[in-house]
Amino acid sequence: MSEEVRIYIGGVHASERPTVIKTLLGSCVGVCLHDPAAGVGGMNHFMLPHGDGAGDDALRFGVHAMDCLIGSIMKVGGDRRRLVAKVFGGARMLALKGHLGNVPQQNIAFVSEFLETEGIPILSSDVGGHHARHVHFHTGSGRAFVKRVVGAHARAVVDDETRTTTPPASGSVTLFP
Amino acid sequence: MSATILIVDDSKMVRRLVSGALSVDQHRVVEAPGAREALAALDAQPVDLVITDVNMPDVDGLDLVRAVRARPRERFTPVLVLTTESGEDMKQRGREAGATGWLVKPFDADQLRHTVQRVLAARPR
Repeated sequence: MSEEVRIYIGGVHASERPTVIKTLLGSCVGVCLHDPAAGVGGMNHFMLPHGDGAGDDALRFGVHAMDCLIGSIMKVGGDRRRLVAKVFGGARMLALKGHLGNVPQQNIAFVSEFLETEGIPILSSDVGGHHARHVHFHTGSGRAFVKRVVGAHARAVVDDETRTTTPPASGSVTLFP
Repeated sequence: MSATILIVDDSKMVRRLVSGALSVDQHRVVEAPGAREALAALDAQPVDLVITDVNMPDVDGLDLVRAVRARPRERFTPVLVLTTESGEDMKQRGREAGATGWLVKPFDADQLRHTVQRVLAARPR
């Protein structure tokens, strides 16, 4: 029986043991990375910051979300040179208003550019559209299962994502004496 | 003061971001995707500062720091570690390996530039 882990916005998880990582994506994206040779994988769940002056912050934040995922997979025995990707989310939820409306497309475009730059092939993706998605990712096999979400549940996803708008603080600096 | 800085990170996107931040101060940036390429770059030219990631394939960043310290020419060259690792035990390992400082990602461009200037100003000549 595989272990199960649920991740939320800003979350990342990788495991050396076969694990089912579950998440619920609206306009956010979730990237599943798998190293078939090592049989390990992981997933993140993030949304680029938006609003005034988010340009550089957004890029840095997205790169950080991917960097954390790749680093976590390498720590459990994966090799970034063997990684393959599956990409989900980026729905244009009908309840999203104003500048938030561009965020899903930006999320998808960022992930595509990142993976291409890093030479990580996308095996499959289910992005865009107007519905939230439940994603289950099996880290051992690399298989992913997606189910569309409608109704009141979808509304809760939008509320959650709308609250998460600020980029994370930058990390600490330590100079050794 | 402009300097030659070697950036070692297995992520091309991270190297691009760091390079972009440092080019504002007219630094010359040399990029390497791993420790082996970094040592080859050091053979090819002297640098004023090395900035390295920790989690990389084949040879990790802390082993690179030790390898840099073992080279006569780079024995005192400042080496900053730029990583997602934020644990105190990892920082301590970095310090023991001979790193000059430890920066936790995500980095702020201005803070990185400021730290680089500070480290360059303090280096032995």
